[in-house]
Amino acid sequence: MTEQKSQKKAKPARRWRWRPSRRGFLIGTGILAGGLALGVPIGLPILRREVAGFFDSGALPSNYPTDPALWFTVTADNRVRLILPKMEMGQGIHTALGQIAADELSIAWEQLEVMAAGTNEGPVDAFGTFGSTSVASSWEPLRQAAATLREMLRAEGATQLGVAPMAVTVAEGMVFVTAESARRRTFGDIIVDADAERWQTPEEPAPLLSDNALRFVGRSLPRVDIPLKVTGQADYGYDMRVPGMRYGAVLKPIQLAATLDSVDTSEAARSPGVQQIVVDGDFVGVVADTRWHAWQARNRIDAHWKAPRLWTQAQIDETVSVGGRGGITIQVEGDGSSPLRSGDVFSAEYRTPCAFHATLEPQAALADVRTDSATIWTSTQGPHVIRGAIAAALELKPEQVEVIPTYLGAGLGCKIDSKAAIEAARLSQAVGAPVHVGWNRAEEMRNGYLRPPTHHRLRARLDDAGRIEVMEHLQASGQVAFGFIPDVMAAVLGADFGAWRGAMIQYAIPHRHVRTWVRTLPLDTGWWRGLGLLANTFALESFMDEMAAVAGADPLAFRLDHLPSGDKGRRFRAVLEAVAEQANWRGILPSGHAQGIAVSEDVDTIVAQVAEVSMNEGGQLRVHRVDAVMDCGRVINPDGAVAQVQGAVMLGVGSALLEEAQVADGKLVSANFDRYPLLTLADAPYVEVGLLEAGDGKPRGVGEPPIGPVAAAIANGLATATGKRVRQMPFTPERVT
Amino acid sequence: MPNDSIYFEEAQLNLLINDEQFQVDDAEPNRPLLWVLRDELGLTGTRFGCGVGICGACTVHVDGVALRTCITPLAAVVDRPIRTIEGLADGDNLHPVQQAFIDLQAPQCGWCMSGQIMTAAALLAQNPSPTAEEIHIGMDRNYCRCGCYARIYAAVEKAAQGQA
Repeated sequence: MTEQKSQKKAKPARRWRWRPSRRGFLIGTGILAGGLALGVPIGLPILRREVAGFFDSGALPSNYPTDPALWFTVTADNRVRLILPKMEMGQGIHTALGQIAADELSIAWEQLEVMAAGTNEGPVDAFGTFGSTSVASSWEPLRQAAATLREMLRAEGATQLGVAPMAVTVAEGMVFVTAESARRRTFGDIIVDADAERWQTPEEPAPLLSDNALRFVGRSLPRVDIPLKVTGQADYGYDMRVPGMRYGAVLKPIQLAATLDSVDTSEAARSPGVQQIVVDGDFVGVVADTRWHAWQARNRIDAHWKAPRLWTQAQIDETVSVGGRGGITIQVEGDGSSPLRSGDVFSAEYRTPCAFHATLEPQAALADVRTDSATIWTSTQGPHVIRGAIAAALELKPEQVEVIPTYLGAGLGCKIDSKAAIEAARLSQAVGAPVHVGWNRAEEMRNGYLRPPTHHRLRARLDDAGRIEVMEHLQASGQVAFGFIPDVMAAVLGADFGAWRGAMIQYAIPHRHVRTWVRTLPLDTGWWRGLGLLANTFALESFMDEMAAVAGADPLAFRLDHLPSGDKGRRFRAVLEAVAEQANWRGILPSGHAQGIAVSEDVDTIVAQVAEVSMNEGGQLRVHRVDAVMDCGRVINPDGAVAQVQGAVMLGVGSALLEEAQVADGKLVSANFDRYPLLTLADAPYVEVGLLEAGDGKPRGVGEPPIGPVAAAIANGLATATGKRVRQMPFTPERVT
Repeated sequence: MPNDSIYFEEAQLNLLINDEQFQVDDAEPNRPLLWVLRDELGLTGTRFGCGVGICGACTVHVDGVALRTCITPLAAVVDRPIRTIEGLADGDNLHPVQQAFIDLQAPQCGWCMSGQIMTAAALLAQNPSPTAEEIHIGMDRNYCRCGCYARIYAAVEKAAQGQA
């Protein structure tokens, strides 16, 4: 199988002498166009593209279309192109979904090509590539679509071979007469000769293959996008180029909630390479011949801003604190928190800071806006979301806007931001030429949105047997989902489902109460890998360890003693026991090292981790090793799942040890990595990953769940190693000594 | 120098990139090499990450040494051999580091990978048999936001063993 680049760019000619007036690189021709010319749409006539309405309810996607015409194109040279509504941002989704499709199609792996669906092709995915839902939500509809296509090819192939459908076998992209295998037709042959009257998608769903017939699902096939990524050929939003394009940059405030007071662009207009200054109210941009010139010119804009107040970090923390009006109870079991009115109540408070996504590819888009249409190339987790935003910004109808997605230089939740695409579109509209906008690091940090800060207050009481009888979790957070959904929906929901992800108490505690507050901040906060999962698990699982200490119990045994009954409890037990064995829990460690354990559940995937940590005399914390065991149900590509766990652990370690976006003097302190260092290779722990399967054959999410336990496992290990309980992320030397 | 452009309107600077000659405008000779590669020559495999020489996504080789193009003025590399990710493979034969990154399935999003691979290739060119410590130090200044560090390390180690 190969990865089909959505748009192919011509390489510079050999010995090519560059001239400003003859820009020689372009996209839009090349492999793809040639391939499509050979392609025969498999639905004849082309079937309607159904727009699933799953996003209207705010629910997760569950009803992707199963019509193969939307997913597949079969070409005359017997290749099958799979058009995927899920974006590849490094999570390996194109490979995993390719494996699912290739199995049901009964084709050879090499026959398959995958490509990301733009807004004008493929299944419509208004939800976007989010929430660790891609495999779980595509598994059944994609299999069904592929099986239906296989059975259509079987029937049409049998007819063309002059035998009954029962007399043929489908394998390796061919239909052959079972008793006489030399009589065969490839899928490509069949499509070319298909009779338009006969070639109709059947009403009845085709039967799916049995598990033992699956040849690709469950295997660690190499990722299809990696060859392009080690040769520099993979194209991202930042790399998109078309003939005649220019580069744009838009003025932005540095201070929080600032508005433009006055602006003088006269010096910027004289800056080298500037072609046009675009001023439309408080939208001030420059368009130049190169990005460097556009940025230089923007630096020469003399702008004055008005900030309503100079926010401090203390004010941010105070805003995001539990208590007061607006709290929403999201979980009550037994008598809730009422039993906490008496007895020895133990309590603790935890905080997590704002954090950047810091994807190494900043927001970027190329826009070509014409009188009544717009084409946008961008690295996005949600092409349909970007289409809606562009249509609104340009006052076009959504169907007049085409969004062509590219590879993403990581997503982590930030690449649904439409601001760079809107900037490119507005500049393109103003100058009448294609304009590319790629943010610099300062824009990416100060003008996108962040992981919100959180505050947690936990209270609990033990019963006479040393088990937790009652537990309460009060949680406050900046917005996660609420910045992205209509106000009316937020008002109905009350609690921000993104912020409280992972906040509920899973343990079998007789009386439980969880209440959340969502706060509005002067900076934008939103989606970040796992949403509230990392913060909430940090608080809940740190507190679980603190209660184990109060009870004088081993943290692992204490958790096992509080597991719910039934299948969920069985799965929790399995991952906890497996990770304890894998990590040699309570085994002999080097001097000064200690282990901490934590577990979390997210999108019905359960992950337990053991972190081995130590601290030097300067308070420098080191994470030596993280053992992770994940039960995500059926695993499509084991090595891909392992890679996701490894990556999530690294992001969690960076968050636990380093990452904190602070506010001072009314602005975010960090505008680049000098004030916001990321985890590097030398400080990366060894990560060992074990995979368990739930046993019901259904795949579950993988991308986000493994970030849940990381910070708590580290904090718990630190407490064992040093006796010091750290309740605020990140665990910097001044907080741990 | 500024007056040169008056007398020689077509004045150009020579760049030797991936064994090919390129000529670019000599006005503003201090503009960063990164944007010359990406926007003027279309060599977008060299990526932008930070613009201040921290993240390493923009790493290329100049005279065989890893260099961060976002903070390298164009004038500093005129007539010196530059190699970018597009020119690392020998025709269809991938460089051992590229092959090792495939074998270990090291990349995730891939945006940092041109820089990781160019850094690793330069490291192995100078030190064909690095110790674990030397790999840690040599690869410690390239950010990977997807957290592929364990596989990056393993890939560099494998490439070194393959060369030895």
